[in-house]
Amino acid sequence: MANILIVEDDKDLNNAYKIILESENHSVQSAFNGKEALESLKTFKPDLILLDLLMPIMGGLEFLKQYRQTSKHPDVKVLIFTNMENSPEVSEAYSLGADRCIIKSWTAPQNLSRVISDTLSGRAASATA
Amino acid sequence: MKPDIDIPATIEEQQVLAEALFTSIGEGAIATDEFGKITRINPRALDILGTSKKEMIGAWFPKKIKSVKEDGTPVSLIDRPITRAFLTGKIITEKGLYVHKDGHTIPVTITVSPVILEGKPVGAIEVFRDITVEAEVDKLKSDFISLASHQLRTPLSAIKTYSHMLIDGYMGEVSSAQKKSLRTIIAGTNRMNELISTLLNITRLESGNMVANIKEVYPVRLLEEIVKEHALSAADRDIHLIFKAPKSSNLSIKTDALLFKEILSNLVSNAIKYTPEGGKVSLHVKKRRYDVLFSVADSGVGIPKHAQDQIFTKFFRAQNVVRQETSGTGLGLYLVKGIVDALDGKIWFESQEGKGTVFYVCLPK
Repeated sequence: MANILIVEDDKDLNNAYKIILESENHSVQSAFNGKEALESLKTFKPDLILLDLLMPIMGGLEFLKQYRQTSKHPDVKVLIFTNMENSPEVSEAYSLGADRCIIKSWTAPQNLSRVISDTLSGRAASATA
Repeated sequence: MKPDIDIPATIEEQQVLAEALFTSIGEGAIATDEFGKITRINPRALDILGTSKKEMIGAWFPKKIKSVKEDGTPVSLIDRPITRAFLTGKIITEKGLYVHKDGHTIPVTITVSPVILEGKPVGAIEVFRDITVEAEVDKLKSDFISLASHQLRTPLSAIKTYSHMLIDGYMGEVSSAQKKSLRTIIAGTNRMNELISTLLNITRLESGNMVANIKEVYPVRLLEEIVKEHALSAADRDIHLIFKAPKSSNLSIKTDALLFKEILSNLVSNAIKYTPEGGKVSLHVKKRRYDVLFSVADSGVGIPKHAQDQIFTKFFRAQNVVRQETSGTGLGLYLVKGIVDALDGKIWFESQEGKGTVFYVCLPK
């Protein structure tokens, strides 16, 4: 099972993902914006970061930029979880090394777990977008 | 027979008329000789570029009329519309960025017509329009789309996630009557999601803002996700939704995963919607030499022969489906066709009324 960092400003959604992922025995930490995520990365070593893009204080793109500059763990998977498909923000996230992008409002919990395990196993790493 | 208008008799008169026409055009207009030297330029062009007639006449067009890309680097000579018009002998129309004398860029639409005399180019006429205002409106529109998609979907994400969590037992046991209600909620959010996606993508497609993020994609995994996403709506109508993955599930194509899902999701959702209860919807994927062929087959109502030509037209809905199912927008297949085109693919179908339809999509590898 994996270490997963959830970065999502919506408290209800953040909590929902936490419940779902913990029920699958993942070890989960929650952050509510990019700044908090950078802070928790000082102590928590995730295998995968589930990242929202539009957040207050520090959004997902700014987080990714800073994370890529400072991180010593380039193999950490980044799964963009947003409601803005086909936008310049998504293209930029890919150019910053995001592994995959999925649309929140489309994604049922079972599919979320599946996409996470695909991304972790590398099957979907290149598999998507 | 006497002509309706007076045609100037002398060459001088014709020249004066041509000059008057050129000067009075409301857009920027520039004429060149066969070497690309500027022979005429109208006041509107001088105004847009912030330059003077003295500076322009006799100068080489590609040097004096500076054109740059979005990133500020110059457009190479071979890519300039005027060069292509000379080389192909055809009229070239496209959008570009010109540089004003003071250095700022101006978004323009450019049309260059080669002037051909006895089969040889003897010059070119370029007409260009300053579209600064249109570009600003486009930008506002696309910002609005991004914001609206986010704002409309955020509450839906919570409804969908928590409904699924309830139905899947994350919050304890639920009765079958409660499950039924939850399925209705989920079906409603799915429908709302489809509508939002369709409207957003159509706006993007029509404003030229459809961005394809081309990467290596494993379509079998995505098809499995699509089947999962539609499993509930299929089960509700007792429709057998089948996807038998091929043995080589590591099949990959270079495309945009989200747009790919939008195409196939739309086709599957249509197939389920227009297939009577107890019917069958199946997905297939086949690797071919240069492309990959996807198909969605149903045992549904079919598309009447007389409606088949119009099926990809905006707002079109065939009479037999309007009678049966009133909630469609007539936008789904129009959008699907637009996205397939944007991904350099092809789409077609075979259909028999009362028996069913197969939609085929092929996408380059």
